[in-house]
Amino acid sequence: MAHTMALLLLVGVFVPLVAFVVLAFFGARLGKPRAGYVAVAGIGISFVCSAIVLLMWRNNPQPGVVNFLEPWAYLGTMPVNFGVNLDSLTVIMFFMVTLIATCIFVFSLGYMAGHSDEVDGQCKYHRFFTYLSLFAFSMLGLVVAPSLLFLFIFWELVGVCSYFLIGFYFHKQSATNASMKAFIVNRVGDFGFLVGLMMVLYFLGDVSLAGSAETFAESAGQFVSHGGDMNTFHPRETHRADQLFQPGPLGVMLATWMGICLFCGAIGKSAQVPLQVWLPDAMEGPTPVSALIHAATMVAAGVYLVARIFALLTPGASMFIATIGCVTLTMAALIAIVQTDIKRVLAYSTLSQLGYMIFGLGVGAWIGALFHLLTHAFFKALMFLGSGQVIEGCHHEQDMTKMGGLRHKMPWTCWTFLVGVLAIAGTGIPGIGLGIGGYFSKDEILAVAWHRVNGGEAEHHAAGYGDGVEMALAAADTGHGHATKADASAGHGAAGQSAGPVAEKLPYWLFLFPVFIAYVTPFYMMRCWWMTFMGKPRDDHVYEHAHESKLMYAPLVALAVGTVFASYWLFRPMVADSAPTVVLSQAFDGHAHDADHAQGALIDHGAHTAMIFYVGFAFVVGFGIAYAIYKNGLAKAEGLKARLAPVHKVLWHKFYFDEVYNTVFVYGTSRVVAVISWWIDKYVIDGVVNLAGWVTRVVADVSGNRMDARGMVNAPPSTRARDWFMAVVLVLAAYLVWSGFWPGDFQAGVWIAFVVFLLVLGVDGLVNDLGGMAWDTAGMMRRPQSGNIRTYVILAAGAAAVAIVLVLILVGESSTASVELVAR
Amino acid sequence: MIGLNHYLVLAAFIFCMGIFVMITKRNAVGILIGVELLLNAANLNLVAFSVYGPSSLTAQLSGQITAMFVIVLAAAEAAVAIAIFMNFYNLRSTIDVDLANELKG
Repeated sequence: MAHTMALLLLVGVFVPLVAFVVLAFFGARLGKPRAGYVAVAGIGISFVCSAIVLLMWRNNPQPGVVNFLEPWAYLGTMPVNFGVNLDSLTVIMFFMVTLIATCIFVFSLGYMAGHSDEVDGQCKYHRFFTYLSLFAFSMLGLVVAPSLLFLFIFWELVGVCSYFLIGFYFHKQSATNASMKAFIVNRVGDFGFLVGLMMVLYFLGDVSLAGSAETFAESAGQFVSHGGDMNTFHPRETHRADQLFQPGPLGVMLATWMGICLFCGAIGKSAQVPLQVWLPDAMEGPTPVSALIHAATMVAAGVYLVARIFALLTPGASMFIATIGCVTLTMAALIAIVQTDIKRVLAYSTLSQLGYMIFGLGVGAWIGALFHLLTHAFFKALMFLGSGQVIEGCHHEQDMTKMGGLRHKMPWTCWTFLVGVLAIAGTGIPGIGLGIGGYFSKDEILAVAWHRVNGGEAEHHAAGYGDGVEMALAAADTGHGHATKADASAGHGAAGQSAGPVAEKLPYWLFLFPVFIAYVTPFYMMRCWWMTFMGKPRDDHVYEHAHESKLMYAPLVALAVGTVFASYWLFRPMVADSAPTVVLSQAFDGHAHDADHAQGALIDHGAHTAMIFYVGFAFVVGFGIAYAIYKNGLAKAEGLKARLAPVHKVLWHKFYFDEVYNTVFVYGTSRVVAVISWWIDKYVIDGVVNLAGWVTRVVADVSGNRMDARGMVNAPPSTRARDWFMAVVLVLAAYLVWSGFWPGDFQAGVWIAFVVFLLVLGVDGLVNDLGGMAWDTAGMMRRPQSGNIRTYVILAAGAAAVAIVLVLILVGESSTASVELVAR
Repeated sequence: MIGLNHYLVLAAFIFCMGIFVMITKRNAVGILIGVELLLNAANLNLVAFSVYGPSSLTAQLSGQITAMFVIVLAAAEAAVAIAIFMNFYNLRSTIDVDLANELKG
């Protein structure tokens, strides 16, 4: 059963890859509509597979890792397995990704239909679907990956696909720049991930998610039971993982560094501060790509990674993650207020929502964060595709100040978009459990944060340090190893004064900013919707062209339904099923981790009741302000902008991140490199050249011939005597060197002397002969020299092939050695 | 389980692909990519043989370190090649290598 499910998931992963291969080789021949159908068929099959798995899972959940190739390969002596990490999170993520990807693929059929097929004589239509299929494959592979190594492989695949897709309009300079920026900024984060991966490999000796967590939990338990102070903790000789609980750079525990390094990957992919700069620029890609990258796949990958490595995070690392998330969500939401490009508003709202998820994971709201990831995937895909419809319908006009009144022309888009706006704003009626999207998921994150601020975890620990350790050890024994977080934080609690960051009680500001932004979010989203669809048309030209097509709004309706569905049914319990339970029991006092009671517990629970007081009516306030400002056109907004000019300027320049990075990294690096290369050129390379010239001159001086300004100066007759003298000296020197100042080997010395003598006297003849030979050979060799590199390659390859065949025929016996090697 | 043969076949495949790319592409960057494929195919062989071949640690490491050298050399080679392409592009406004046949004998 579990095997069948895993197999179905694998089929789901590889079908888009098949579609990719087909499109890559035959896409151009398939032509315009058919290439798209291949891609849609591929992802459609994946979706069917995932739906079947979901149904099977609902009947009979069987968590565990199913390995198909065991071992797949060895890293040193450590086996790496290839398989499927089967748990409810995998199943539901897979379902979400395939569902949204299917919608986006179908939408793309409509979106690309209106595009010119060719740029620079290159057919683009099939390439778009080729890349999309590869992207789907990478993301699905990432979801099922059972080990950090596979996570990393698919992670990089996702990165390179985003590069292809963001730079899809490669004839636009801004698009190619954006794709390079996305790729390079992601490399920075990936480097951290790689370092973290190496630390996991070195210290924990296992890159599988379950195995590494198990080892980590065991050592953490040891650490806690020995007092939990990293300065006095002595690692056991036999356990390398124990070394993680020692002070590392900057007095921070190595384990914390490991968590932070792994999180660096998520900073890059999920576009958190300080690597958030690539995401707004990534809007240069086609809109379906933006929807795919910003809703279901790439940015979700970062959050998914953090969720998967959750068991390897120490409280210090969690605190770091929460801080990064908090800063990101605040900054991004503030920037979103002033944007006028419809896609950029959505980009910043994505950043902000990702900040919420990362923040949630940091404060321990594992369920809330992943639930938010799923609901966000739906409503953000919905809004991005809606904006794609608007942009396509308005002839690639993205500026909202030129839109307005589009509800008459695009009713479907308008009202489905509103569903997305309501969902992201967290609209709902407190008390009766009626709401949509963020009302459940975002509020759950905030509820956990509030609980943590009030010292929920600290109280919990005060009661049971010992319990925490026991749970950790028990988890290690049973092999699930999800308990790490609890015991590590318990350890910190016990050693409250130790140097590492302590995370029992969350600072109040870490709760306050997300709550404040919960008021800002409805405002900027309502502003976006109102400026686009409501009011009066501001640009007649844009308005007249506006239209919507069925192929494009059908996916919108599907996603709108999906948004509502995801808020209520299936998704949260599925996430909650695979949650690391101990963490949740800290946050929720053991109520909400029970999937059956989840929704009820959430609403009844004290933390959530308090959330009603904090953010229950945030959407009313946000919507109200947006309505008040924008109901009569842009005049009032312009007035506000003028009055708050300095603030507006800072926000408009996105807090000057791009400018600072350009100055410090781009310009700074190029200046430093320029100075260094100038110095090397001037003193090293020129020095070598000058030295060679100087040596030549000295030698020429000695031998009597030298160049001067008029050319070669013939040696006067008197120097011929000096030549003979030089010859004799050379002969003597050669003899002395040869014989090692030993007179015994006289004969050899004579031979050498003879040869040297011959060389000195017969040089001219030899040189002439050689020259003649070279001339003849060159004459022969001229013919194949076409000057064409590709001909050379053919010749070289052909020659190599002939050589290999000859070797195989002539020295057949000696090749048995290599056969033996292969056989081993 | 992955053995030496897998690596060798993959390397041979990549090598052939590299040669194919170098022969068929007229774009200079494409040819550079072909060269990179060749180098990395050779690298793969070096590393694979170092792991599956000799048993002494020194011999194992030497294969991997040689691969490192190849990687560094490939980077240097790419830098030089791209500098040449830039100059060629400035000269001809194209990087079609079939137009770069001034050196014919």
